[in-house]
Amino acid sequence: MSLRSQLLKGILDGCVLAVIEKEPVYGYELSKKLQEVGLSDISEGTIYPVLLRLQKNGLIRGEMQPSESGPNRKYYHLTAEGKGSLEMIASEWKQIVEPVNSLFKGRNLQ
Amino acid sequence: MKSKQLIEENNRKREQLTPQNDTYYSDMLIYIRLQLSLSEQQSEEVLMEMLDHLLDGQYEGKSAQDIFGDDPKRYADEIILNLPKEQKREVIPFILRIVIDLVSWMLMIRGVVILVFSQFNIGNVSTSVYLFSTLFIFAFILGSITFGIWYIFRIIKQSLFKEKANEKKNIVKAGLFGAVSMGLIIAVSKFTPEFGPAFHFSWWASLLTGGTLWVIIFMLKKLDIGFR
Repeated sequence: MSLRSQLLKGILDGCVLAVIEKEPVYGYELSKKLQEVGLSDISEGTIYPVLLRLQKNGLIRGEMQPSESGPNRKYYHLTAEGKGSLEMIASEWKQIVEPVNSLFKGRNLQ
Repeated sequence: MKSKQLIEENNRKREQLTPQNDTYYSDMLIYIRLQLSLSEQQSEEVLMEMLDHLLDGQYEGKSAQDIFGDDPKRYADEIILNLPKEQKREVIPFILRIVIDLVSWMLMIRGVVILVFSQFNIGNVSTSVYLFSTLFIFAFILGSITFGIWYIFRIIKQSLFKEKANEKKNIVKAGLFGAVSMGLIIAVSKFTPEFGPAFHFSWWASLLTGGTLWVIIFMLKKLDIGFR
């Protein structure tokens, strides 16, 4: 596994929760939104095991609802517990990103 | 939506898949459904989400490999790992229904067999039931059914995710199991000594009890209360 995909794997839960926090989405929309923000190398299917785990842990809940295009889709909503977890992940992330950024400062990154 | 409706909808939607995507998806579907200990509702929901996603992707020219990766078995294992277990209150009625169904058929068949045999005077048919012998034979039959389900599921699992499945070999295996277990059941019921308290149980009582049980199970299934 590449370094990039290992890093992503660790933070994917947080990314998924953050998308769902903005508005309820179903699986296909979620993968589209992750790709739109630039996380394009997450293979689309990866989100389903993640969604199942987050559901099992009570961080999100799925509801069958008619979609804009018509057929029923399972929309995911953030629970109160999920909101708490997202806040924690975001603050953990900040504590890592800021020091690492300062260490890497001054390099010519592409 | 109940799992039964989801299964029906899944069958309908699957027809829209291209042959390659259908092979890829259907193997995962069977593999995941074979996990009897997992929540049926949750399994069917995620299978429907995956199918919807695959269909959306298909319209954009993507293949199942593009979406779920090159290793469908590994992907399905990942799904299984994260699915919740079936609740005990769902499992017990399910097993109970199968057992009662089996008992009802055995009682009805027993009634008919005794009736036919006594009508045509074939052999000496005893209408006595020896409690412990009967329980022993019944436990043996249940045991071989359980083993059979496990064995046939194993054969199906091994046939999934392969370029070329050896179907003939699998049919022979399953057939052989059926023949051997049938033989064993007949041998056990013939050679189990009669012991324990005995009581008289006539053909019509047997038929009536079996029929009543069957109707009850059938009605409960129709009404969808508890017994599913």
